[in-house]
Amino acid sequence: MPVTTKTQRTSRFIDPWSYIALGASGLVLLALMGSQFFYKKLVSERVSVEPEASVELESIQLEPRLVGALRIDVRALLPSNTWVIYEIQILDQNGDVIASAMKEAWSESGTWYEDGESGSWSESDLQGGLDVQAKKNEQITVAIAVLEYGNTSGQELEQPVGFKVTVENGVVDTRYLWSGLIGSAILGIIAVIATPISGKTAIAKTIQDSDPSGRATVGGADQLVRVKINVKADETFPRQLTARLVINDAYGEQVYARAMPMHFILGTEDTRRHQLQCFFTLDPRSSYGFHVEVTPDAPVDQTKLTVRDRNHTLVPVEVVHIRPSPLSDLSDHPQDKHP
Amino acid sequence: MLTKIFAGAAIAIALLTITAGYTQRSALVLRAEKQDNYWPRHGTGLSGGYRGGTWILLPNRSSYGGFRGGGPSAGK
Repeated sequence: MPVTTKTQRTSRFIDPWSYIALGASGLVLLALMGSQFFYKKLVSERVSVEPEASVELESIQLEPRLVGALRIDVRALLPSNTWVIYEIQILDQNGDVIASAMKEAWSESGTWYEDGESGSWSESDLQGGLDVQAKKNEQITVAIAVLEYGNTSGQELEQPVGFKVTVENGVVDTRYLWSGLIGSAILGIIAVIATPISGKTAIAKTIQDSDPSGRATVGGADQLVRVKINVKADETFPRQLTARLVINDAYGEQVYARAMPMHFILGTEDTRRHQLQCFFTLDPRSSYGFHVEVTPDAPVDQTKLTVRDRNHTLVPVEVVHIRPSPLSDLSDHPQDKHP
Repeated sequence: MLTKIFAGAAIAIALLTITAGYTQRSALVLRAEKQDNYWPRHGTGLSGGYRGGTWILLPNRSSYGGFRGGGPSAGK
């Protein structure tokens, strides 16, 4: 059967969904950057609080809002080897506590000796934080209270404790955004990896020689067929390998034959891997035979032929379109053509 | 197509996390009885709860958990 062959670079088989998946994580990244523009710093000061007492900051007008919350960040300024239990309190206009959250903060340091070596260490957990939202307009006051203060030897301390307090309004909780960024990026990467191996694997044949072949029903007018040839060779070979690919139709007639240089992709100590990929549309959908011959064949240890039907791509690729020649009916009867 | 499912899941994750982050789902809501969505930051847990619209502090919260400092030497 005479066929026409046309080679064309095309974007028609690009899978947009893998880019949409990546776009989703791009959206979260934008949201993460955008969250920096919504908040407003209200208070940033140092306070000193006596044990079993509390210190009030200036009052704040809190309104219900769509984006963000009031964020109170507190950092205890502890001397080494002490601990404190402090509370972030929200007071209403009458001075009553309407919300509170508690933090157990500590700071420790010391020296270590091991096998004749020594050094110093210090560790601490001082930061506390509370995010608050209001359902209605509310005049509130933030207060910091010290519930207990002591040192690591077990003594209670009576000195005041210093705190660095920051209050911001309209703060977005970026913990959700970071997890969303990681989650959607992982899915996007999986989608990108899945695209070249999409569709159905029609032929997957590995032989310890240089001439694999296989036959399968593939193709269709608007379906991409990906042919991949992988070669494992030992190091004693000429740099360039050539793969000759022949495609036969259902009647065993040759519809395509071409020798192409293979690409070197990876080399280890005793194996070198080469690969060649080519793309076809085969019309009509039918049984096709694929035959590969890698030359020179002396260094070839293993050759793998993979044919994927209904495949997609990430980037524009060169596609060989093979379809029956429109004049095939006439050419069978030349006398009709030239009466 | 498998990539459609991955893309759908990625979009769902993006929209859910952006909504949760921007509406501050994790914040304490003043005068709301239920604080199910509260997500502590820096290990700062609520030390009370609303009962009939009034904030009730936890009893004995100052000796809560018997905390006597953390760190590598704690518990020795």
